[in-house]
Amino acid sequence: MATHQVHRSGLTMPVVTRRFVDHAWRRGCDFINLDLEDSVPQHLKAHARGLIKDAIPVVRKGGAEAFTRINHDYVHADLDAIVWPGLSKVNYPKAETAEEIRLLDAVITRLERERGIRPGTVEIGANIETATGVAAAYDIASASPRVKEFGGGTGYDMSRDLGVEMFVGFEQFAYGKGELELAARALGLEVRAAPFVANTTGSVSDADRAFREAQAARKCGFRLGGGLNPAVVEPQNRGFTPTAEEVEDARWVLERHRELSRTGDMWIAIDGRVIDRYEAARARDTLEWAALCAERDREKAEAVLRTRAAMAEPAPPTSGDS
Amino acid sequence: MAILVRRSNLLAPITDTERVNQAWQSDADAITLDLEDGVVETRKAEARGLVKEAIALAGQGGAEVFVRVNAALLHADLDASVWPGICGIMLPRVASAAEVAEAVEQMTALERRRGLAAGALELIVLLESARGVWDIRSIVTASPRITQVGLDESDLACDLGITPLPEYDPHVYARGRLVIEATAAKVQPIGITYPLGVHPRRLSAAEIHRMSTGARNLGMKGVLCPDPRWVAPVNAAFTPTADLVAYNKRVREVFAGAVAAGTAAVPLDGRMIDVPVDEWAKVVLAMADACDARDAQKRAARAMPALAPLQGH
Repeated sequence: MATHQVHRSGLTMPVVTRRFVDHAWRRGCDFINLDLEDSVPQHLKAHARGLIKDAIPVVRKGGAEAFTRINHDYVHADLDAIVWPGLSKVNYPKAETAEEIRLLDAVITRLERERGIRPGTVEIGANIETATGVAAAYDIASASPRVKEFGGGTGYDMSRDLGVEMFVGFEQFAYGKGELELAARALGLEVRAAPFVANTTGSVSDADRAFREAQAARKCGFRLGGGLNPAVVEPQNRGFTPTAEEVEDARWVLERHRELSRTGDMWIAIDGRVIDRYEAARARDTLEWAALCAERDREKAEAVLRTRAAMAEPAPPTSGDS
Repeated sequence: MAILVRRSNLLAPITDTERVNQAWQSDADAITLDLEDGVVETRKAEARGLVKEAIALAGQGGAEVFVRVNAALLHADLDASVWPGICGIMLPRVASAAEVAEAVEQMTALERRRGLAAGALELIVLLESARGVWDIRSIVTASPRITQVGLDESDLACDLGITPLPEYDPHVYARGRLVIEATAAKVQPIGITYPLGVHPRRLSAAEIHRMSTGARNLGMKGVLCPDPRWVAPVNAAFTPTADLVAYNKRVREVFAGAVAAGTAAVPLDGRMIDVPVDEWAKVVLAMADACDARDAQKRAARAMPALAPLQGH
């Protein structure tokens, strides 16, 4: 069983767009993914690299974890520019072989040592975006202990690799998602996946849809979110967090299950609902996850308060801070 | 790299003279002269004798010509099929890389003997068993001659012990595996949406178009057509529409503008345009050009004087 990290919401943003980076801490995200890859024009790659070190503390001011998505083809230059204290994860796009992941691991290990970062701090996100990646899923996911979340197999790059128009439906991803999820579960990793709530509109800012998708994903056992537009952050946080009623219900299930162990029965039906050890395990999961979410929300709220206080002290708040 | 445009591949049983005579007028990208399931057991030897003459006839409309051989009669069938004018062999019931190697060995020898360029002949392989689907990776990488791979869905159902119901698709996993493994090996997956692969039947052109579009949306690159009436809707489904071409030209313009302004992520009609979207736009536009070129080639070939048809048997 994986220990769950809380990555319900997060924004991927081009590190070269200053206003996105400066305001990121206000968005309520569990993580911010600073992009060096697809949202950064080729001629700005070197410039972008140079911005990461300073951007890391900026995007963490609201308690979010800082991730960076590097370029598949510039592993050395990118890693050298981004592995600094405060970075939690390197997202590596278009992963296709275990060898690539082992190389990342070796370089990160060296940089952690050189830069005084606790060994093993920086995770690797192996993004599977091609058919070749799907075909090597298990090898990739097991190539480094730094890979803690695994999944994907959808999206624009995958569509392009399959030669499929994006936003036509999601059947083309069924096999790849299945393979990746199986590999992740078999290795005890957190699964990055979602049930098929086909967003065939291509919209990245639909808050209602984001909420429904997050809720549906959570009910299927998935807990990882993320997006491109600030409008989806709050709905994802909400959708991935158990509601008060669900927490209440989970407590009720555990109470009934405890009573069972007193009577020695394996299961009982109450108003047509079966209470057994599977339901009890599910209820325990819900309570555990709800507690992790609450703790994460507390951390973020405290970070925001600290930041606001620090901003208030030396200078009067600028407009829009409150 | 040149894009292989083989949207429609029309099957013509070699013993069906009328079908063979008419196939070239169908606008199919490829025509496969069938020695296998389309020919009754008692006429296999006779069928072999018809191939050589049929090749030029089938190819006169600009279609690539293939011959589908019998796995059980591989040597005799290959010997009867490898002549100048064929593009390659369709190899059915493949369950192992060794079977591919066996066919390749004989094809190489025949190329030499019959004056074809070494390595010229392509292979389209069909998987028809659980074993074939499971071992697809070693099969599709067994020879660089393999350009396309498909499932024979009815034989696969038979191998799985399934009597397929039209409302429940038993091949979701097999088809998904086909698309992923073929794409990873740079081989084109081919096929059509369930249940047509299992129950080919006459349908309106609109239905064929819809089901071919479904197949394209799964990652398939073409369809084996049991009937010449499938060809036009299949070709249309695998050809980018004028609207799609116009939209993707716009994507490229908007993206180029964004890059010039210092960002590679820009909204267009509520969607986010970034590198992969622009890359995909290039693919669509290149595919449209390749389809246009292929269609022009076929038109030019059909404008030439026709060969005399084969006589009936």
